[in-house]
Amino acid sequence: MPRIGVYVCHCGLNIAGVVDVEKVADYAGKLKDVVVARHYVYMCSETGQRMIKEDIKAHNLDRVVIATCSPRMHEETFRKTVAEAGLNPYLLEIVNLREHVSWVHSEEPEKATEKAKDLVKMGVARVKLLEPLEKRRVSVEKKVLVVGGGIAGIQASLDLADAGFRVYLVEKTPSIGGRMAQLDKTFPTLDCSACILTPKMVDVARHPNITLLTNSEVTNVSGFVGNYEVSVIKKPRYVDEQKCVGCELCTQVCPVKIPDEFNEGLSQTRAISIYSPYAVPKIAIINPNHCLRLKYDKDVCGKCLSACEAKAINFAQQPEEFMLKVGAIILAVGAEVFDASKMPELGYKRYKNVISNIEFERILNASGPTKGEIFSPQSGVSPKTVVFVQCVGSRDKRFHEYCCRVGCMATLKQAILVREKLGKNVKIYVCFNDMRAFGKGYDEFYRRARELEIEFVAGLPSDIRSAPDGSLYFDVYDKGTNKLLEIKPDLIVLANGLVPNRDLGKISALFHVSRSADGFLLEAHPKLRPLESLTAGIFIAGSCQGPKDIPDTVAQASGAAAKVIDLLMSGVIELEPLTAVIDKNLCSGCQICESLCPFSAIEMKKETVEGVEKVKAEIVEAMCQGCGLCVSACPTKAIKMQHYTDEQFLAQVEACCSEEKTRRGR
Amino acid sequence: MNVGLTDLMSMAKPNIEAREKFLSKLGNKELVNCFQCLKCTSGCTALKLLELKPHEIVKLVNLGFVDELASSDIIWTCVTCLKCVQRCPQKASPYHIIMVLRNMAVEKEVQIPEEYLKAFSRILETGLAEASQEVSTRKMEVFDRESLNLPKINFPRESFQAVFMKIMEEK
Repeated sequence: MPRIGVYVCHCGLNIAGVVDVEKVADYAGKLKDVVVARHYVYMCSETGQRMIKEDIKAHNLDRVVIATCSPRMHEETFRKTVAEAGLNPYLLEIVNLREHVSWVHSEEPEKATEKAKDLVKMGVARVKLLEPLEKRRVSVEKKVLVVGGGIAGIQASLDLADAGFRVYLVEKTPSIGGRMAQLDKTFPTLDCSACILTPKMVDVARHPNITLLTNSEVTNVSGFVGNYEVSVIKKPRYVDEQKCVGCELCTQVCPVKIPDEFNEGLSQTRAISIYSPYAVPKIAIINPNHCLRLKYDKDVCGKCLSACEAKAINFAQQPEEFMLKVGAIILAVGAEVFDASKMPELGYKRYKNVISNIEFERILNASGPTKGEIFSPQSGVSPKTVVFVQCVGSRDKRFHEYCCRVGCMATLKQAILVREKLGKNVKIYVCFNDMRAFGKGYDEFYRRARELEIEFVAGLPSDIRSAPDGSLYFDVYDKGTNKLLEIKPDLIVLANGLVPNRDLGKISALFHVSRSADGFLLEAHPKLRPLESLTAGIFIAGSCQGPKDIPDTVAQASGAAAKVIDLLMSGVIELEPLTAVIDKNLCSGCQICESLCPFSAIEMKKETVEGVEKVKAEIVEAMCQGCGLCVSACPTKAIKMQHYTDEQFLAQVEACCSEEKTRRGR
Repeated sequence: MNVGLTDLMSMAKPNIEAREKFLSKLGNKELVNCFQCLKCTSGCTALKLLELKPHEIVKLVNLGFVDELASSDIIWTCVTCLKCVQRCPQKASPYHIIMVLRNMAVEKEVQIPEEYLKAFSRILETGLAEASQEVSTRKMEVFDRESLNLPKINFPRESFQAVFMKIMEEK
């Protein structure tokens, strides 16, 4: 006869505020085979756990049911508890009285208590049928794939490489550096962005443990935690990486002018170019959509061929595919800047003098399109009145409901830089709703901006209009003065927010990582597991998880790297024993399971039974992820899911629909 | 048009019940979910001449100063251009709020500005909110519809007036 202990947790008032926990414990105590039933205010606390351990020993319990919060929260905690008392950790059943009962039925406490009783009864029915299981140990690849070469990917790669791990850093564009490379200064210290970033970029290129794959994209991911197989396509540069010295002679002779992506299209580059002044690797690349020879497939042009002294140009270059074996993956693919032309009332792309904050960042930069000089784009002269408009595309239900978390601080920084560059006589206005200066040193920065006579207007303009001569004007109602101000700026900078990367849908499907409602990648737990995805071995860092500034991004990247080191350090990981097992006597060799398995964990093996050769399915335990597809598909019911067997489920259903309940008249 | 709302407000206390009653008439709570960015007021067509501040109306409703608003003239200044609805980043709507306030004013039999009553009788008589007008050029030549070869305006049938009156009484 099983000897079961049932423990009902109050979770403070989270459960006990709705469910009558005492009644539930009393009820559990009267169920068959239950030896002891108790309730306690915090079962997960030291005292609660000690109570369970002492009971296991004193009452000789062999199975435990804990009615508490979601198993996602504390199943692992309680498995350790029962294991410490000598029980197999899989002889534990968690009943969820918080997410499944008290939080969702807070209006109906009596019915909630009845439901809690039923769930406990079902838990007791299941726990009797649980079997002891042992964790699997799998060896892992001590190599890591980092996707995205922005500051997050760079930081994570360097941390991992310094710790002795082999790192493959895959970057889509021709150079690493990401958004941070485009910025002029960084808030709140006004450090030059390139000065603090480029040394790290060079470190990545030089590090013996880092393989840098630029102009490359991940095309396929298979395998599982510790043993992922990833294929990466490296698109052709049409320039030999070994030979190119980055002298830019080719760029000077190329006749095809195209918008410079790095400068947000504000200046022109050539069809053969080096991505940015600080590109790493500093190797030229030919844009196949614009290069005359690649576009028309004829012997035209070819000026770069004769200009290149290193003979590095190679029009015959083909895409290369790499197969990488890695133990873990860090996704650091970053975010994009909101396209303000979706808000026609602001006139972005319609009026020359309305520009975005990332464009202004390039304008402020000494290596940017204007060499760091601020001009009013329409007249070409230095502006007299500069206006910043906040919350463009963010905190706006029409576009993105979330706060972009960088717009306020980026504007403060840019406003301060305008004051520094253009001097005292320029009027600077910031039209804002709420000024969010939450980080370390940020509010001090806000104060500094006010000291520099930057005027803060508490109110957002409804629309920006253009006079017949092309000059701009708008009205804004200021909360502080209760006045409608009329402002005639000659430069308007929009604080465009950050939005999910356009490839994030593809990436989320490729890596089996979910997305949250805002479109960014979803972390395993918003507070306690912010760096992990819900897929084991895949971590997330930086603004692909949500809009983030540089300090937070770097902290997250180092954190994700530390999580990877923790996972792969010992070379071996323990996996849950929740795999499928096959009863060979029942297997008919139909191969349905083999064709269905998404993890290629089923192999068909030939076997000779009593002189007859038969084909039987076999589970490769290390590959099986316990998804259960094969279990439900097997026509002969030869496959069983460990810890989630049909018998266990049916016992729960039976307990739920038992006669006693019908008598209760529901 | 200035109604001295400020004076009344400085004396008053927030009234949660009035707010709840108002919300049940409005039907959709999202329409009052305002974070006071003032975009509506910055662009309000009726602000410059008539001093309508939509953000203030929304805030007053949220604090329950519904009766004061329903009895004030300010709610009749809205020209229903719907700019505030279009551009509100939180999908709140000063316009919908003002319409409910106007209905409450009628229910309470508060005196409605004369222009509105004039418009009402114009619709009843002519079917139009505005009477057709003559236009004059810079040379002071005067034209009416007939001299411009525009079609004649038909006056509504009696049945229209009956239906119109019925609707007005029901509301």
